[in-house]
Amino acid sequence: METSNKKLAKKRRSASQLAVVWRRFRRNKAAIAGLVLVGFVVFMAVFGSFFAPFPPRSFPCLYKGCTSLPPFQDWSHPLGTEPSGIDVYSEILQSARNDLYVGLAATLISVAIGLGIGVASGYSSGVSGALLLGITQVFLVLPVLVLILLFSRILVLLVAQGFGLTIIVLILGIFGWPGIAYITRGETLRLKEAEFIQATKALGASKSRILFRHIMPNILSPVIVIATLTVAANILTEAAISFLGFGDPNTSTWGQMLNDGFSWLNYWWISFFPGIMIVFSTLGFNLLGDGLSEALNPRLKE
Amino acid sequence: MGEEILRVENLKTYFFTEAGVVKAVDGVSFSVYEGEPLGIVGETGSGKTVTSLSIMRIVPPPGKIISGRIIYRGEDLLEKSEDEMRKIRGKKIAIVFQDPNSSLDPLFTVESQLNEVIMAHLKVTKQEARNRALELLKMVRIPDPEARLKAYPHELSGGMRQRVAIARALANEPDILIADEPTTNLDVTIQAQIIELLKELQSKLKMTLIMITHDMGLVAETTKRVVVLYAGSVAEIAPTNEIFKSMRHPYTAALLKAVPRIDRRKELKPIPGSIPNLIDPPSGCRFHPRCPYVIQRCIEEVPELEFTDQRAVACHRWKELSLKGE
Amino acid sequence: MGKTLIEVVNLVKYFAVYTRGILLRRKIGDVHAVDDVSLKIEEGENLGLVGETGCGKTTLGKTILNLIEPDSGKVYFEGLDVYETLRSGPEEKKKYLRRSMQMIFQNPYGSLDPRMTVYDIISEPFVIHRHIPRDEWEERVYSLLRLVGLEDYHAERYPHEFSGGQRQRISIARALATDPKFIVADEPVSSLDVSVRAQVLTLLENLQKEKKISFLYISHDLSSVRQITQSVAVMYLGKIFEYGPTDEIFEEPLNPYTIALLSAIPVPDPERKINRIVLPGDVPSPINPPSGCRFHPRCPWATEKCKKEEPELREVRKGHFVACHYAENFMKGEKPLPTVQQ
Repeated sequence: METSNKKLAKKRRSASQLAVVWRRFRRNKAAIAGLVLVGFVVFMAVFGSFFAPFPPRSFPCLYKGCTSLPPFQDWSHPLGTEPSGIDVYSEILQSARNDLYVGLAATLISVAIGLGIGVASGYSSGVSGALLLGITQVFLVLPVLVLILLFSRILVLLVAQGFGLTIIVLILGIFGWPGIAYITRGETLRLKEAEFIQATKALGASKSRILFRHIMPNILSPVIVIATLTVAANILTEAAISFLGFGDPNTSTWGQMLNDGFSWLNYWWISFFPGIMIVFSTLGFNLLGDGLSEALNPRLKE
Repeated sequence: MGEEILRVENLKTYFFTEAGVVKAVDGVSFSVYEGEPLGIVGETGSGKTVTSLSIMRIVPPPGKIISGRIIYRGEDLLEKSEDEMRKIRGKKIAIVFQDPNSSLDPLFTVESQLNEVIMAHLKVTKQEARNRALELLKMVRIPDPEARLKAYPHELSGGMRQRVAIARALANEPDILIADEPTTNLDVTIQAQIIELLKELQSKLKMTLIMITHDMGLVAETTKRVVVLYAGSVAEIAPTNEIFKSMRHPYTAALLKAVPRIDRRKELKPIPGSIPNLIDPPSGCRFHPRCPYVIQRCIEEVPELEFTDQRAVACHRWKELSLKGE
Repeated sequence: MGKTLIEVVNLVKYFAVYTRGILLRRKIGDVHAVDDVSLKIEEGENLGLVGETGCGKTTLGKTILNLIEPDSGKVYFEGLDVYETLRSGPEEKKKYLRRSMQMIFQNPYGSLDPRMTVYDIISEPFVIHRHIPRDEWEERVYSLLRLVGLEDYHAERYPHEFSGGQRQRISIARALATDPKFIVADEPVSSLDVSVRAQVLTLLENLQKEKKISFLYISHDLSSVRQITQSVAVMYLGKIFEYGPTDEIFEEPLNPYTIALLSAIPVPDPERKINRIVLPGDVPSPINPPSGCRFHPRCPWATEKCKKEEPELREVRKGHFVACHYAENFMKGEKPLPTVQQ
């Protein structure tokens, strides 16, 4: 009975550590703004298709003569339509899911690779560590955007359509890890020398215990921060790829809409609204990342 | 004893932090006499450094001097304008900090840092300033001073940097030199060098020295009078050669019993508890939660600093207690 | 004299120093952190290890525990070869060694994992070693907390909620959780405040008396060394300069470096006459130390011999070892001190 009471007490303490982070986060107005923006984008991604009157990449106006409609005139097309007949409002709502998918999934891949390589190269001294560092550095100096464009063109053309987005996710994920690896490597190196790690070694703890029980949890907060920022970067890169015409033309993304709009620059609403969405989502994730960084590492403020 | 050169009266310096108001210095009073080496001793959070920063009026934000007077040669420094203060800092009252690494600018050579101070207060040519700089380096016994003038701080060892910091403080022959833990970050043998240098300079230049430290040994060796601070207020003021034999404040006695000695083994008597939180300090006498002689009055009433025969003590019970040294 | 608990034999650890860069880096020299050190610690005895920055005292402490790999030399714990056993000995001997030898670190802010509760920190040794049954863990954690002067409810808190002195107590409780016989305490009080320092020092004194734990007490604070150790070793640039009973060395140091070091400390007694030997120059870098006696460039009594010949650590009196060609000259009333040439 007493044991369970103490266990409960422990649970409460851990919760209160989260509460401390939340309190620090809450005080930061920019961070809250970021959270609201991200929440908005996530909401759109989850429920967007309920509110969208038309299916993605469909041309409801093509035969009704309501193409190239400016926004706020016809309330069945509140944000206007493209000359091809695409409804901007529906398209924006349905793109949210794809954009968020690219941002999150690519980040997940990058974090998995980056964390693994970073921790391994930081923790193992000697040849293997140096080799992993070398690989990271090579990846860091590659002209990533050019390579991404090249690969996405080849792969999107080669692989059957409809998988375009997944291919972009893979490419972004595979090219996005070196920054994460660099940071986790630095953190691992610092932690490896930290006295509490030495103290654990002196207790006779195994390597895997030191790695998973002590180093990993302490690396987590910088990784969370950089992952959040990476989501923003990935959304932006995806937009760039699609805007440049290297994306999958059959998948709705905000970048794809920019690409549409580029052909009809005098119909400003085609590019303006997806542009705003790109700004909102990247700004949101960036503010969120900064806020998390301050809330998780109060040392910066002291 | 010389004339009174500086008098701190009921000084209050608070820090307005997010967590609350830290009463770092809360009603500190003491006098400094011309030509005397005075010690201010206390632990972390005793307010000794904040007191010295307040005298120079360089308390960093969120700190603010709330009230009190700092009388230097008859004039209240707290009423001076910032311009007037600038003429006093470095020229009349100079300070040497604990960490010479952060008090010297890493981007400038020793010469230009010394020149800066010399030329700020005297109208001299570059050549004259240079000669003065050389003279100063010789005075603080820096070997090969000509070469050192061109050195950057990172090219000097910790001990050398502290010597340069002392030279810079002495550049304009100040009336008062405040040395804030000048040896704390140095190795033992280098500490000895700096202690000897300060002692020598003090007696040669008849300098008024305020030695701020936590080390009772340093107090015994370098000072003639000592102010003991605890938690932002004065516990006791006494001549150095008396306080080690017959202290009047229980904190002074407890502090001496808690410090091991190099010359013999002794029974260590730790002070129970920890240094109080200055946002919400204990009521009455701030030492009461750790004091072995506490009575109800100590909890309720703040003891006044009582002056008798060149000594002062803030304790309700000092007359009935006969505290002894070890 | 009791049984020998720890024996260090000809221990050597150098760190190579390189120029910056990866491809074209050259070796500049070696840091002689630990240079042929031999020591003994008796059961229940505290050995003080003193010296200035860069003298290798921390490296020596960590190398004894094999937290740093030595270049050569041996360490024996109760006659058991520590390095050999940890490398290829039977599992239960390895665990026994790890449990028996512990360390307390200097920085109470860095030596506790910030993401673990005090309960998890102190019980971690139980998780690793499983030397006591699980249902006794809680009781043990609480009794350890009480032993070091903390309260039960502190167990559920995180390190950042404690003051420096309290954290050092937590570190000590963690070290005690394995029932060690030997603890390396690396400057355990130097970052603590004066009044708190005494609390931790008395705690260490009591542990030695009541639990019969031997400490290797590493410190630059000579007063505390005098207070809590029975013997002391003075290090200078990786070498032991003087080694013997604490009281004897503090009363009558026989190595010029020890003499200067002890005379440098201000004593809280204004009437005491100070007879200080101020050493010239800085603490030299341990990279490529001076020839002959490493101390000769700063030694006020150095002769030609000192520049060329490195003095051996030799037994000048029973149990009192000195590395100086002229140790006998410093004995009271035996020969006059060589004149200081300055």
